[in-house]
Amino acid sequence: MNVLEVTGLTKSFGGLFANSNIDMSFEKNSITAVIGPNGAGKTTFFNMITGVYKPTSGEIVLNGKSLVGLKPDAVAKQGIARTFQNIRLFNQIPVLENVLVGMHTHLHANWLSVLLNLPQVKREEKAAQREAYRLLEYVGLADLLNENAGNLSYGAQRRLEIARAIATKPSVLLLDEPAAGMNPKETKELTKLIHTLRHELDITVILIEHDMKLVMEISDQIFVLDHGEKIAEGKPYEIRNNPKVIEAYLGKGAVALA
Amino acid sequence: MWTEVIQTLPQVVIDGLTLGAVYAVIAIGYTMVYGILELINFAHGEVFMTGAFIGTAILLTFSGIGWLAMMPAVVVLIIVLIATSILTGFLGMGIERVAYRPLRNAPKLITLITAIGISFLLQDIIRFIAEIKKGNYIVTGPEIFTNKIKLDASSILPQFQDASFKSTFLVVIIVAIIMMIGLDFFVNRTKWGMAMRAVAQDRDTAALMTINVNKVISVTFFVGSALGGATGVLFAIQYGTIDPYIGFILGIKAFTAAVLGGIGNIRGAMVGGMLLGMLEMFAAANLTGLTGGVFGAEYKDVFAFIILIVVLIFKPEGLFGKAVIEKV
Amino acid sequence: MKKFITILLTNRTAQLVLFLVYVVVTTASLYLAEKSVVAFLLLLLSILILYFLKIKTPLKWVIGLLILGVLLPVSASQGPSYQSYMEVATLVGIYVAMALGLNIVVGLAGLLDLGFVAFFAVGAYTYGIFATGQAANFMPFGTYPLSGESFWVFLLIGCFVAALFGILLGIPVLRVKGDYLAIVTLGFGEIIRIVFNNMDKPVNITNGSMGLASIAPPRIFGIDLMFPNQFYYVVLVMVILVIYAVRTLEHSKIGRSWKAVRENEIAAQAMGVPLVKTKLTAFAIGASFSGMMGVVFAAKQTFVDPTSFTLLESTTILVMVVLGGMGSLPGVILGAAVVTILNLQVLTEISNWMNQLNINGVLSIPDALSPVKMQRFIFGALLIVFALYRSKGLIPAKNRKYDPEQLKQTKGKNSKFLFLSKEKLKAYEGRENL
Repeated sequence: MNVLEVTGLTKSFGGLFANSNIDMSFEKNSITAVIGPNGAGKTTFFNMITGVYKPTSGEIVLNGKSLVGLKPDAVAKQGIARTFQNIRLFNQIPVLENVLVGMHTHLHANWLSVLLNLPQVKREEKAAQREAYRLLEYVGLADLLNENAGNLSYGAQRRLEIARAIATKPSVLLLDEPAAGMNPKETKELTKLIHTLRHELDITVILIEHDMKLVMEISDQIFVLDHGEKIAEGKPYEIRNNPKVIEAYLGKGAVALA
Repeated sequence: MWTEVIQTLPQVVIDGLTLGAVYAVIAIGYTMVYGILELINFAHGEVFMTGAFIGTAILLTFSGIGWLAMMPAVVVLIIVLIATSILTGFLGMGIERVAYRPLRNAPKLITLITAIGISFLLQDIIRFIAEIKKGNYIVTGPEIFTNKIKLDASSILPQFQDASFKSTFLVVIIVAIIMMIGLDFFVNRTKWGMAMRAVAQDRDTAALMTINVNKVISVTFFVGSALGGATGVLFAIQYGTIDPYIGFILGIKAFTAAVLGGIGNIRGAMVGGMLLGMLEMFAAANLTGLTGGVFGAEYKDVFAFIILIVVLIFKPEGLFGKAVIEKV
Repeated sequence: MKKFITILLTNRTAQLVLFLVYVVVTTASLYLAEKSVVAFLLLLLSILILYFLKIKTPLKWVIGLLILGVLLPVSASQGPSYQSYMEVATLVGIYVAMALGLNIVVGLAGLLDLGFVAFFAVGAYTYGIFATGQAANFMPFGTYPLSGESFWVFLLIGCFVAALFGILLGIPVLRVKGDYLAIVTLGFGEIIRIVFNNMDKPVNITNGSMGLASIAPPRIFGIDLMFPNQFYYVVLVMVILVIYAVRTLEHSKIGRSWKAVRENEIAAQAMGVPLVKTKLTAFAIGASFSGMMGVVFAAKQTFVDPTSFTLLESTTILVMVVLGGMGSLPGVILGAAVVTILNLQVLTEISNWMNQLNINGVLSIPDALSPVKMQRFIFGALLIVFALYRSKGLIPAKNRKYDPEQLKQTKGKNSKFLFLSKEKLKAYEGRENL
């Protein structure tokens, strides 16, 4: 069953086509990797799914509902969460509160109920804090709950972004280069985390990644983009030997060598 | 009603061009700094105001020691312009060094706050210097170029009323045009200008190309502030009486002009300035008539602000700017 | 000596005792030497000291209220300077509330509003128009001026009208990029002032530059409140309410969404925080505090005109927030107190003192440099110095500390909210931590 379907997705900036006519579908609880050389349009793809860019044409359907034209906060409400290539945390507030922000759409307090200090608001807040703490435990950041997010180490910050994204209770989790800058040990832990959360938390994962080892190990399917177009799709072993893919990354000469 | 509009048109055009020229050159200062640092230099209006005061001070000194009567007005003008521009240029450069450079990596909010602080500081420093020297912070300078010229507009079209203007109008326009052409040449045809454009586009790459980014930024501030200060002198000559608070409102309007033309775009700032000056004079002359007495000329400032808000909402890149898409 | 200080810093009782001695001494000196501005200020300073003491918060509140509610007014009441002291204290209260409002916009949500005084003006004029005969010029029904008893209702009305203006201003303006927001809000502040200054034709709504005079003072139980010492209590209660409101909002989902927008707009949006709505809420709530205080101001001064609502006012409030500490509740309160007292008392005192020196021929400082006139210079210098060297303010904002022990309890069985269900919980609790 496809939880997310993308058809004919195109984005042009002036005359430049960042994405041309992309078709992709994502099965429930699958892990898909979107790869391609720099400038291939991968982040543009993510940005269109999450509503940061409006597609020039094409369709994005999540659980039967179209996401085209929705603003990013509405998209998040529909069930898509993401992390960012250049980490975007709320640096001056504590780790726990970063995760609490992720729960925004699931909390029902408004300014009036807050000011009146209604009991259901207090209950909701308590439950949310406990939930956030559990999420921190899940990614291994529980002792840092009161640290300012900006003070965390790089690897911890990436994990916090994931915890925050999970807090939105998404159906689909988009990870934009989650392993960038990580050492092998950290990458191993990340791999384990992604593996477990897809079933434990009932999430479909899509990731953009350059770390081929991670990609090959973890993906159920791989889509390859180059110059805005999808040039290949398939299982990891199929992609590994696909001449078009090799050419895209290494150039024509490399194909002959492969 | 429309006949009145047409009748006053020549005068409106002349007044509009004068004001517009002032806006245009000040707007250039705002746009240059924003292009290179993405910072609204709130203090720029005050640099203009300081220029007006320095120029007036020099003129008063000259008239005091009798030089004013001796030398031809043009020579006096050139001396005052050059001296004032150099001084205000250094002032602007100094402000950047002391207040903006240390905050280059701080959140934008903090830098804006510093800029406001400098704005206030300058206003008060000039105020008490003026009060100490002259007993009042409103200062009137000696008049040079006192001829009044009449424009025989009625001979062009019978519906036009004759307009009159002081010869200072010609001075302001000519000097402003010279400055704008000079700047355009500097930015587009010289090495420094190219360096400025490079730093504005991509600071890191420019640094990699061995451009001394700090020096370029300093030069940008110097040039922008020098021009602003010179415009202050022109303003003082044109309107005669100045006070320490002229920079504030004028600054906002000049900034509106910069936004109208497209922030970061120098030619756009020039066009924006002229356009805004004309629109404002038109509004001042005709608002009462057009709105049947509901809104009078006092609303001309509101008019400028509304233009700013409208542009920022509907076309934030201005007339000539390019829409900037933030990288996510 | 060192041992004494260490004891002082840690031992609660020692602190409390010393503090109480301080309060008694300053109260007594104010009572006896009534003209002593120093004693007055020192007594106010006790509140700041109270903040830093290591005693329980409820106790701090009780003591604080006792000092502000009883000790201060009573000890200041002996002698002619009574009303002027209360006047200062009342104005401090008004500015504290306004600064807290601006703090929501600038400190919590990170939106630089340079035209904040516009909402103050809106509130003041709202009450002023209806509490003088002005409204008769355009209202088709009702008799004006309304009596002072309507003041209490107008507190709420002023709140809402200002919030409405905040929303109206915000809707177009908040889509604009951060840097521009500052200039646009500045422009709006000026627009309001110009509009109020000219709204006397064709229909006379605001009486233009002449302002509104003889505004009805508040009336309660048949008594008109005309004196600063009476207003003092009104303002004190309002400030307490405002502090309560700000604290609850800050530590709720709303406060978090403001801070998220301030820290990283794009990430906030991606987490489901609606940008425009969040910013509008900040604007509206901040504006409502300002509007409410505008009503108080109008009723207290019984006269309003456009000259009270200039850019200098907006900047003054901004200085309070920056000086005190952006985003910091105690900081902003301190900032507001410091700046108001500086403006009202300290500068005048220094000016008088310098005048004395002038007369006695000791120093001759020209009038142009008199501290009262040097407001802009001082504010400008303060802004620059603090922005450059202490951008976090006098009392930097402190984040909340969460207690992990409290958070570990999982007895939230009624929480249908649990993402990780009971089974999954057990599943990973047994797992090795990453």
